[in-house]
Amino acid sequence: MSGDPALHSRRSLTLRFDIPISRTKEFWDALREGRFVTTKCKECGNVAFPPQADCSRCMSSQFEWVDLGKEATLVTFTRVQITPASFVENDPYVIAIAEFKGGTKALAWLEGVEAEKAKPGMKVKVESRTSKEGNPYYVFVQA
Amino acid sequence: MGRVAIVGVGHSKFGRRTDVNVAELAFESIKGAVEDAGIDKKEIKNVVVGSAGGWYEESLPAVIVNEYAGLDSVGTMRVEAACASGSAALKAACNSIASGEGDIAMAVGVEKMTEVDTMTSVELIGRAGSYTWEFENYGMTFPAYYALYAVAHMNRFGTTEEDMARVAVKAHHYGSMNPNAQFQKEITIEKALGSQVVSWPLKLYDACPLSDGSAAVILASEDVARKLTDTPVWVRGIGYSSDSANLSRRPDYVGLGASVEAARRAYSIAKVEPSSVDVATCHDCFTIAELMAYEDLGFCKKGEGAKMIREGETEIGGRIPVNLDGGLKAKGHPIGATGVSMAVEVTKQLRNEAGSRQAPIKNGIGLVHNVGGTGHYAYVTILSRD
Repeated sequence: MSGDPALHSRRSLTLRFDIPISRTKEFWDALREGRFVTTKCKECGNVAFPPQADCSRCMSSQFEWVDLGKEATLVTFTRVQITPASFVENDPYVIAIAEFKGGTKALAWLEGVEAEKAKPGMKVKVESRTSKEGNPYYVFVQA
Repeated sequence: MGRVAIVGVGHSKFGRRTDVNVAELAFESIKGAVEDAGIDKKEIKNVVVGSAGGWYEESLPAVIVNEYAGLDSVGTMRVEAACASGSAALKAACNSIASGEGDIAMAVGVEKMTEVDTMTSVELIGRAGSYTWEFENYGMTFPAYYALYAVAHMNRFGTTEEDMARVAVKAHHYGSMNPNAQFQKEITIEKALGSQVVSWPLKLYDACPLSDGSAAVILASEDVARKLTDTPVWVRGIGYSSDSANLSRRPDYVGLGASVEAARRAYSIAKVEPSSVDVATCHDCFTIAELMAYEDLGFCKKGEGAKMIREGETEIGGRIPVNLDGGLKAKGHPIGATGVSMAVEVTKQLRNEAGSRQAPIKNGIGLVHNVGGTGHYAYVTILSRD
């Protein structure tokens, strides 16, 4: 690129992680069934998202699963035009943060809505999706 | 705790530095700082290296940098606080002197981001949020993180794309006067507004570039500083804080909580008010970030950042000149080097050595605001002449 001499390294490195989910497996199982759940601390009542087995407020590890429902309100969003290397196959996508009743928020793609037509305050709902590798994930769509 | 002063500063040319490897790049600013301090490098007993790493070939940059510069048997470590790694390095070096561990220490910030291709760099930065919840399925990027803030700020306060473009125009104006800056050309609002969309509403000219660069500062205890120089610049206070990695856990998206708290602590330790700051560097990784910084640092009320740039209050001649080195936007943003580079700039300003881009120094107080990630970390360092 620059014309400066460079040693073009012969060694490459591929990183692929196995991310443990055993302590919050119910979240991913529920997602496959189309339900959006998270953890609530049995000691102090703290509702956390992303779900976590250990309460970040009181440090208790006693928790239950609560359903966050489907409806949420759009808080903010962007349309990603320049994507990272591992997303170059994707078309530009809209990423949004939306708030569920009770104040819990989540970040996900907003599907089926042009960024120009999105607006904070807009009603959205969460839906389950499955990646082509078979992993569950979630997106927002217009309510 | 003893007082600590900056007694020497060094700075490399920022940009696409395909002419040097990471150790050679760091050497440029280390040599400059040693010469500026007028010391023998053997007097440096502790070297803290700020570098995020991952985009260049060396995994343990601290030892590589020290070995190349002949800094034998020094106490050393690499510190990481994302884009605030440089400020974290400065804090660690400063604390080592304040605690009486030694009389002279050095903070070096260095990054080489262009040894991998651009999309890989974008990927490595994008992964630096909450990987599982924001990157794995959604491909967040750093422009996208700040775009979420920009949209919320525009929606709440009526900040416009043109206001953000004004920040870029100011950065390029001062960058054109800084020989170490990556970009040294003036731009217009029209050019900024017409540039490619990166993550709507942020465009190419709202974003800092990928950069290679290094900066170094030499710190000394009070007795030693007074012997070495007539113009010591004192570290009056360092405030720091942090916030959630998961953006969805933040209460809102119109300012960085970590910046507000870091600033509150820094002002309190240094016993100064925002109104007495003569000159500042603010973390303008994106133009919206600079506008939010004005508000978070108390230079204006929440929501009035755009008004400050419109009225020229952060230019030379304005109330608080900001980023007279061109900022991250035009000077460049080699991640780990940035916090140290900011301290170099404010030191030069307080010494009245900034030439054509010198701010008027009335109270002798300068401020360095350095954010890591999207406010995952924040450091505010207050420097003073007295």
